[in-house]
Amino acid sequence: MLKKYFMSHHNLFTGHSICKKSPPSFGCQTWDNLTLIFTNLIIPLRIRSRVVMTPMPMEIFMDPEKLGINFDHIWQKTLTVLNPLKPADGSIMNETDLAGPILFCVALGATLLLAGKVQFGYIYGMSAIGCLGIYALLNLMSSSGVSYGCVASVLGYCLLPMVILSSGAVFFSLQGTIGTVLALVIIVWCSLSASKIFISALDMEGQQLLIAYPCALLYGLFALLTVF
Amino acid sequence: MADPHQLFDDTSSAQSQGYGAQRGPSGLGYPTASASPQAAFLADPVSNMAMAYGSSLAAQGKELVDKNIDRFIPVTKLKYYFAVDTLYVGKKLGLLFFPYLHQDWEVQYQQDTPVAPRFDVNAPDLYIPAMAFITYVLVAGLALGTQDRFSPDLLGLQASSALAWLTLEVLAILLSLYLVTVNTDLTTIDLVAFLGYKYVGMIGGILMGLLFGKIGYYLVLGWCCMSIFVFMIRTLRLKILAEAAAEGVPVRGARNQLRMYLTMAVAAAQPLLMYWLTFHLVR
Repeated sequence: MLKKYFMSHHNLFTGHSICKKSPPSFGCQTWDNLTLIFTNLIIPLRIRSRVVMTPMPMEIFMDPEKLGINFDHIWQKTLTVLNPLKPADGSIMNETDLAGPILFCVALGATLLLAGKVQFGYIYGMSAIGCLGIYALLNLMSSSGVSYGCVASVLGYCLLPMVILSSGAVFFSLQGTIGTVLALVIIVWCSLSASKIFISALDMEGQQLLIAYPCALLYGLFALLTVF
Repeated sequence: MADPHQLFDDTSSAQSQGYGAQRGPSGLGYPTASASPQAAFLADPVSNMAMAYGSSLAAQGKELVDKNIDRFIPVTKLKYYFAVDTLYVGKKLGLLFFPYLHQDWEVQYQQDTPVAPRFDVNAPDLYIPAMAFITYVLVAGLALGTQDRFSPDLLGLQASSALAWLTLEVLAILLSLYLVTVNTDLTTIDLVAFLGYKYVGMIGGILMGLLFGKIGYYLVLGWCCMSIFVFMIRTLRLKILAEAAAEGVPVRGARNQLRMYLTMAVAAAQPLLMYWLTFHLVR
């Protein structure tokens, strides 16, 4: 009904303004321009009800599944990381999912920011180079190859305990003995989870500690960022 | 009625035939004008083509990289050196620190190809040298940090200088092997692996130096130097010297003497380099 009101002034199909037929008045001309703008939004909205389109922004907030973000899978993977002693299911890494890892990286940067250290660049740089190194190593060590996305995804998920460490750093300084011990525990936790997921996803036997060591080096660098 | 010049579908009337039927009259070729502005960009035939071209270009590029990377980095050969497991690494590290009791240094063969490191502790691998090199660079950074001499570019400096010394060593040994005309099955990657084992001793020395000062550093470094010397002699003897000499029979002859000297030189270079690359880190 609203549309009919707009269209009565402006013939959309021919592009001619009806205003020309009647003596031009100030209101009619601006109305013309407004209808020109609004028709780009209103007509498509009408059509959208008949055809499947890419989701409009409001829809994404209501239902993230449309973007491919599967919250259930993210939660499952997070639980796998949080419990390093439970054996992991090899199929959870079948779909590469970078939403969780990016969220954790941003969370790490945010908690570091709260502690007074602005080090986003270092985090992203180190994660990229570390992921590249571990990608090369895993491709050489495993019988089946891995994709870079899978490596980045696993390493990003296992960054979660580091986020816990850095949020602790907001409240108390980590530069004592307790801080060092805590940092070591968190590093071991992160690398054990990462190596556990890798060996179950890539089906490598007897190499868990060998994979855990380079992961521990990488997470050790993150811990250095957090503690110092 | 459908206007031949219309850009949009006329859905103002409730009984519109639907989107598909209206596409015919819109001869302007912009069926996307009726889509949302965002999807309009993607459904436009030109951008469809561009996306398809871009993705095919990416696939081609990846193929090219995969094909050519094999020329510069022999991936399948490298995979042999990384076929290790935790037990092998443990035994090898023990051998690097205490090679005196090990009796049999021969690499087992299986139909002309050497057995994977996983199955034979004598086979060279690249996992330990690679990890040891990276750990050395990080520990050097740590050592410099505790002395307040740390800055991130110093880390890069350490890494590149260690890499340069390694390259120099490999080239020198290859040159001398060529000059002495040794008929050996020692490949370049094997050589890199053997020369990379000294980083393990260096890391041990630096860590002890950090914990216990200069005394600890010299003690541990001295021990590691001796061990690496013996390890290298026993390993290279089987590779460089002729089979007769390997069995323990002292063979006199200019060629074998030259090879003995070469083996001794390579083995003696290891402790020297170990000291040279670490003494400035421990104060």
